[in-house]
Amino acid sequence: MNEIFASPFFGITLCVLTYEIGVLIESKTKLAVANPLLISVVLCIGVIKLFSIPLASFNVGGELVSVFLGPATAVLALAIYLQLARLKKYLLPVLAGTIVGSVVSVTSAFWLCRLFGLDVALTKSMLVKSVTTPFAIAISKNIGGIPSVSVAAVVLTGILGAVFAPLLIKLFRVKSPIAQGVAIGTSSHAVGTSKAIVLGEVQGAMSGVAIGLAGVVTVGLSLLFTGS
Amino acid sequence: MKIMLQIGLVFGICLLGQIIADLLPIAFPGSVISMILLFLLLVFRIVKVDHIQKKADFLLKNMAFFFIPAGVGIVAEFDAIKNSIPALLVVVVITTVLTFGSTALVVQGIISLQDRLERRRQRKGRPS
Repeated sequence: MNEIFASPFFGITLCVLTYEIGVLIESKTKLAVANPLLISVVLCIGVIKLFSIPLASFNVGGELVSVFLGPATAVLALAIYLQLARLKKYLLPVLAGTIVGSVVSVTSAFWLCRLFGLDVALTKSMLVKSVTTPFAIAISKNIGGIPSVSVAAVVLTGILGAVFAPLLIKLFRVKSPIAQGVAIGTSSHAVGTSKAIVLGEVQGAMSGVAIGLAGVVTVGLSLLFTGS
Repeated sequence: MKIMLQIGLVFGICLLGQIIADLLPIAFPGSVISMILLFLLLVFRIVKVDHIQKKADFLLKNMAFFFIPAGVGIVAEFDAIKNSIPALLVVVVITTVLTFGSTALVVQGIISLQDRLERRRQRKGRPS
């Protein structure tokens, strides 16, 4: 049985099936929580635990799916390029938004972790939770965090952002599609961006811009925490 | 352009991005470098929109799908965080809401200021 689970087709098939179940549930219920990514992740973990399948076996196929994250991020360039005129006109608000948002993300994570009495290594791992995984791993290592914890925090933040983005847009009465996109990208990186693309072309492009900018700003901010 | 060539072009750019990332003295994600590279290629019209349109549409429309294995990977970190899970969850929720709200309000605020200034300039420019 274990050989079957270690086949690359197992991981890929499980991802596709659970994702399609998620898409189906989303279209039937139209609930924000019924996010295909969230549903798929929960179902995959359920199957793995139920049949005691080693994570490494799932990852044989899983890694083939993850490979596409690089190209998927790269082609955001096309979405950004198609919105170039808008981006030029509103470069100042986009820049100001990502800088303020990244500062809020890092400082609020720092103080909240302090408030809950989390230890230094855990706190440092949480500082990078709003930036995309490769940035997060690099920064976390640099400042003395635990990279694997950072990855978990990044993924959780991303899924949370993707699930609640429509709700947050209503809550903060964000009418401008540019503001919606930048807020999604700054707060929940590429996973949130996958939702921004669904909301609209402008949102998707602006969210893509924010991924890169928020990452760079956070690298700068993290230098403040290297010594402490 | 043929889909196979489009796939080759996008993957090739990603390879180049990875090579540049490895050469850089600081840690910078290869995927973000690839995004900047492709953006520059588009701006300088070396790559045209329809060279990558089909491949890009497929990847962008299904972006969430490619994050599934990363999400499932959380189970591997479970032992490292299990004692602090409630606190970590609260931190993630509150910071995400704060980050989203502050970013959105700043962007929206400056945009409406910018638009108002532009309208005023247009009114002044018009002969009365």
